[in-house]
Amino acid sequence: MDAIKLQNATYNYKIFNDDGTQSYAVGVDDVTLDIKQGEFLTLVGHNGSGKSTLAKLLNGLFLPQKGSVIVFGMDTANEKNLFEIRKNVGMVFQNPDNQMVASIIEEDVAFGVENIGIPHPDLAERVHWALESVGMEQFAKRTPHKLSGGQKQRVAIAGALAIKPQVLVLDESTAMLDPQGRKEVLAVAKKLNKEFGMTVVLITHFMEEVLQSDRVVVMQRGKIIATGTPQEIFEQRALLEKAGLKVPRTIELAQKLKESGWAVEDTADAKSLGEMICRLL
Amino acid sequence: MFRDITFGQYYPVDSFVHRMDARIKLLLAILYLVGIFFVTSFVGFAWLTIFLLTAIFVSKVPLKSVIKSIKGILVLLIFTAILNVFFTQEGNLLWGWWIFNIYDEGLKFAAKMMLRLTYLVMGTSLLTLTTTAVDLTHAIESLLKPLSFIKFPVHELALIMSLTLSFIPSLIEETDRIIRAQKARGADFDTGGLGQRVKAFVPILIPLLVSSFRRAEELAFAMNSRCYEGSTKRTQFRVQKLTWRDAVGSLFQLIFFVAIFLVFAMQTTWANVTWLYF
Repeated sequence: MDAIKLQNATYNYKIFNDDGTQSYAVGVDDVTLDIKQGEFLTLVGHNGSGKSTLAKLLNGLFLPQKGSVIVFGMDTANEKNLFEIRKNVGMVFQNPDNQMVASIIEEDVAFGVENIGIPHPDLAERVHWALESVGMEQFAKRTPHKLSGGQKQRVAIAGALAIKPQVLVLDESTAMLDPQGRKEVLAVAKKLNKEFGMTVVLITHFMEEVLQSDRVVVMQRGKIIATGTPQEIFEQRALLEKAGLKVPRTIELAQKLKESGWAVEDTADAKSLGEMICRLL
Repeated sequence: MFRDITFGQYYPVDSFVHRMDARIKLLLAILYLVGIFFVTSFVGFAWLTIFLLTAIFVSKVPLKSVIKSIKGILVLLIFTAILNVFFTQEGNLLWGWWIFNIYDEGLKFAAKMMLRLTYLVMGTSLLTLTTTAVDLTHAIESLLKPLSFIKFPVHELALIMSLTLSFIPSLIEETDRIIRAQKARGADFDTGGLGQRVKAFVPILIPLLVSSFRRAEELAFAMNSRCYEGSTKRTQFRVQKLTWRDAVGSLFQLIFFVAIFLVFAMQTTWANVTWLYF
């Protein structure tokens, strides 16, 4: 079943030039994409490829200027649907500091649940569950600004999670984090996908993060230029380079080894690749 | 540069006063502020001192921290004292030279005024020392709730206050970052006259303003994504519950302040409230 259907969706940015004229910059250009329920979809693209714009189309933050976005059968163009759509599509953004609405973690996580009108004791239960799901329950009463980037982003995920959405969109949520923080956030996303069958849409420009997904969509200048499993995508090296993306070195090495007949698996982790090579030697 | 600024002056210990409900504490603080103006005799101030010291003792906040709060109004204190000493022309003349005359009533009046202002600040800082800014925000929202009947945007006001509080640390961090970035490019904040120093802050304020707008937009996206639609049908995560501490604390203060009002009513009528000169 499709969770979200984009049909020829187009969204352009209006630019007001200094000489008083207007021009347009491409955001998302005529994109048709089905996001299936329960899948882990990764959307990769270089800066300005339109991936963040596409994310904002998914829960009606932006409305398509042409075409349509249908979320669980509801059109985002109809304002009456937006509340229900946002209940089903949770979103986490790039900068964790700009998503916190309260100065105590549990109150921040509760914000969304308060908005959809859940009373106590369910409210407290959901907050607790969400914090537990991202492994942050011991920080419930603390302030967010003393946490690391990865921890803050996990709190932000808990905030989206507490509403119990069916789809979680991570809009470049790992872009500002250090490698450790990125690992934490990805592990949480993977866990939500595996354990709760949550549909995850991961938007990133780090090719290493592509590996764990079921399906990869590559974007360039607002258009989808490739779709496939991580393996299929990595094989199209020329296409990726044209889109300004690079296959991670470890994966490149693994692929070259495979080509010459070694039984190794694709991995972005240098350590595990090293172990695999050691085992073969 | 801004690292050591902590917001508010909350003193984190666990005490009877800390555990009292913020709404009750806020109401009691208001009663204290009003009541203090009804104390007219030194005996009254002695009672007030007993009350204040007991409250400070029970709150486990060191007396030094409470007294420190007077620093901010020291200039005002000295200024009012001098004014009162020289401008009160009642009672017996103690000392006079040219146009400066000091009367004994003037001295008494100045002393009472200083005590009043000092106790005013000490009492209110005891509120902020024992209550977090977040709790105060919630208390204000809860106490203003009746105003929502006349379409006063209570919820929105409280949300604005709480958002402001939660963004202060990141804005401080941002300012710090911008200052360092501008210093790295050769900006000079520490030399030159006042005009020049003020001008040097423009390259800090403009990037800060721009980034605040960007933050605000992202925050709006984040809030919308979490189903925010204003105050309609929202529930409240925080449950405010009154405990025996609130009853005991309120009773304790009420005893003192009912006494203050009674004494005031007995010794004076409304017509000659001379101390209320402002």
